[in-house]
Amino acid sequence: MSAIFESLPGIEVPVGGIAKGLAQMWADTEARGGAAPGSDDARAMQANFVLLLGFGTTPDDARAQFQTVVRFSQRYPSRVVILCPQRDGDGAPEMRAKIYGECFLGKSKADKRCVEFVILSYPHAAREHLENQVSVCLSTDLPLYYWVHRFTSCTRVIGYRYLLARASRVMFDSATAPAEALTFAWPRPEIVRDLANARLLHVRQSLGQFLSRYPAEALVAGLETVTLAHAPAFAAEAQVLLLWLQARITGCGENQARFGLNPMPAGAAGSFGLTFGYAGGKKSFAWRGDLATGHAQFEADFGTGRTTLPASVSLLPADTALSEAMFF
Amino acid sequence: MDDLQQRHPFLQGLSKHRGAPPTAVVIFGASGDLCARKLIPAIYNLAVDGLLPADFFLVGYGRKPIADEAFRADAAAAIKEFSRRAPDDAVWQRLAPNFSYVSGGYDEKPAFDRLATHLAAIEQKTGRDVQPLFYISTPPNVFAPILLNLGASGLAAKHLGTPHHAKVVIEKPFGKDLDSARALNGTIRSVFAEHQVYRIDHYLGKETVQDLLVQRFANSIFEPLWNRNFIDSVQITVAEEVGVGSRGGYYEQSGCLRDMIQNHTMQLVALTAMEPPGSLDAESIRDEKVKVLKAIQPLTIGPGGEVVRAQYAAGMMAGKNVRGYLEEEGIAAQSGTETYAAMRLSINNWRWQGVPFYLRSGKRMARRVSEIAIKFRRPPGTLFAGEGARFDLAANTLSFQIQPDEGLSLILNTKIPGLETRTQPVKMSFRYATTFGSNTAEAYERLVLDAMIGDGTLFIRGDEAEASWKLCTPILDYWRSVGRQGMDTYAAGSWGPPAADALLAARGHLWRQP
Repeated sequence: MSAIFESLPGIEVPVGGIAKGLAQMWADTEARGGAAPGSDDARAMQANFVLLLGFGTTPDDARAQFQTVVRFSQRYPSRVVILCPQRDGDGAPEMRAKIYGECFLGKSKADKRCVEFVILSYPHAAREHLENQVSVCLSTDLPLYYWVHRFTSCTRVIGYRYLLARASRVMFDSATAPAEALTFAWPRPEIVRDLANARLLHVRQSLGQFLSRYPAEALVAGLETVTLAHAPAFAAEAQVLLLWLQARITGCGENQARFGLNPMPAGAAGSFGLTFGYAGGKKSFAWRGDLATGHAQFEADFGTGRTTLPASVSLLPADTALSEAMFF
Repeated sequence: MDDLQQRHPFLQGLSKHRGAPPTAVVIFGASGDLCARKLIPAIYNLAVDGLLPADFFLVGYGRKPIADEAFRADAAAAIKEFSRRAPDDAVWQRLAPNFSYVSGGYDEKPAFDRLATHLAAIEQKTGRDVQPLFYISTPPNVFAPILLNLGASGLAAKHLGTPHHAKVVIEKPFGKDLDSARALNGTIRSVFAEHQVYRIDHYLGKETVQDLLVQRFANSIFEPLWNRNFIDSVQITVAEEVGVGSRGGYYEQSGCLRDMIQNHTMQLVALTAMEPPGSLDAESIRDEKVKVLKAIQPLTIGPGGEVVRAQYAAGMMAGKNVRGYLEEEGIAAQSGTETYAAMRLSINNWRWQGVPFYLRSGKRMARRVSEIAIKFRRPPGTLFAGEGARFDLAANTLSFQIQPDEGLSLILNTKIPGLETRTQPVKMSFRYATTFGSNTAEAYERLVLDAMIGDGTLFIRGDEAEASWKLCTPILDYWRSVGRQGMDTYAAGSWGPPAADALLAARGHLWRQP
């Protein structure tokens, strides 16, 4: 895992000199004529954000997630700490630190947001001591958000009790998390959010807006099957979407519907295909969405006439999905 | 929010703003400036954010015959010029086919019947009910015929009794005095029920104005101090740099009191001074706003009174000479129209008795700024009193800057580092742009979407408009009766006339220069 730490941008500083290093970094940036927080600027900060890069993370993936957090920080300036645990016996036995800063310039002089990242590498066994080190990097009193990326075991994640206990939200992505994550007995499950579900916001909204125009009882009367076909790349999203559909349909009233996923063959057109099957064949509902083209189509007949409606379909970008999971 | 959709199981878990039903927005005055500058870009940005339903339609209505294609081209041009985000072809290609135009007079019943047929055809095409949202952005002289024809054609009652019933958004001015406001409300109520009506004041859609409620009621450090025991005075400023420009003809009929004070500024007074509402639903908030507006004492008008008016004289703006109001195009030589108004309000209730609320608004002022400044009482002067200039103590002042540079600041007194105890006021600032970026949704985006989902919280109820006019109408009547007598002047580029300074000096106060 030290390869992860090495792969991320930033300046390595002594772990005990992070604050001094950040001050020096901005001074050097300003001296070079770069954008840096001025002496009279308020450092805008809304939140503490901790990203744990789990053992399943590769260097390329780490850089991609780092960029996601950078984009997120442009919108929501945060104090960011990135944790890079090393497997025991892999890499240096000591904790190492890097710092990184970036200022985002907007339309006006006032629209300058500067954020600071601290990247910590540490042997997994040292996580007991991590609490103190992380705490001095964070801004006290502001809410803490914790994103656990590509972890290999839920049990290992809950070893970070400090973060789990203090976080306002804990985010993971069921597309990259172990299967147990969806059913795991998380401490404080009410704060745990699946980024796959957040990514699906526009899909849920589009289906919700369309189907909510029909009486709930009309949607479930005679409903026999709910089948969600999906491209192989969107298996995690499909699973989350099916759970959502199940909850919504259950909310509509008594029904005997069977719910199922139907993976599309590789190379098949489209990303998702949802169909409701009804007894008697007089009612129907189908929705198809193609994320590559952004086009979707509803076809419905709930006994009041056939409706065909083109629509759009998209997944939230990673940084927007983060904010959706964190704040909404 | 009884007007909001009942939460269908398929909308549960989605925020209310993501549950807009199929909607056809009909804009009256579709070839006007507001439509191009604000409404079309707002709708476009809602589409970019994925907040419009898939079956969203925009119907322009106006006297001028315009083909659908030309209307779409105008809309595309408006987005290109005025949208806060660059046009995205994919978004526009989805929206554009659902833009159409119906031409007709505002007093032509057959034209409204054609509009009804057009909307019915849209429903036929979608196979579902479509909520009509009528947006009246025309000059006020045609409000009444539009409203009456919406009633006569049956459009006002479309889908009544369902959550997606017809709704109407009306742009200000809501009358020109109390009588005309009552008459307008009478016309509205003859056609629409109050829960269908959304009187728009775009100030209420601004983030900082909405934040005022959050700051007041979500921070326990402020509310205990928010009363006559701790607050010395309140200043509300809505200042413009621009003059009347080419709108002289319109402005002569309006003036500052009608144009800015009666609506925007009084809304800011209401939000600043109202009691905590029982809940965040629209009626609770609007009930409290009406109560506080009704508690404002009638003003003493006339020489030495509580109201000042003035016109800008020639002066200098940004280093350039500018002419005075009476030299502007379309202005009568002996015009009695004020370009500046200031007043001192007294609110006669338990919370505010004895706390002056100073309001001012004007054109050609030193800086474009809208703010609410809460000045707190000084601490008892025992510890840090006197001794010459040793202690420079300022009153704690909390100011909400509504535009530009939206945010808030708080003045605190601190010790200057050093061996001696010296004090100095310092300013703590929070700026939206620095914390959230400046590319946030514009007021019209929020307001159009709120109307679509039936949330009237940020709109003005009929009795609110009347309460505000009740306060302002005697001033207008008095000014009309005395012509130009007592009209003060102020140099363009200044902060206002001397009489306005005297209004505050009488109570030992000074205007801020924010």
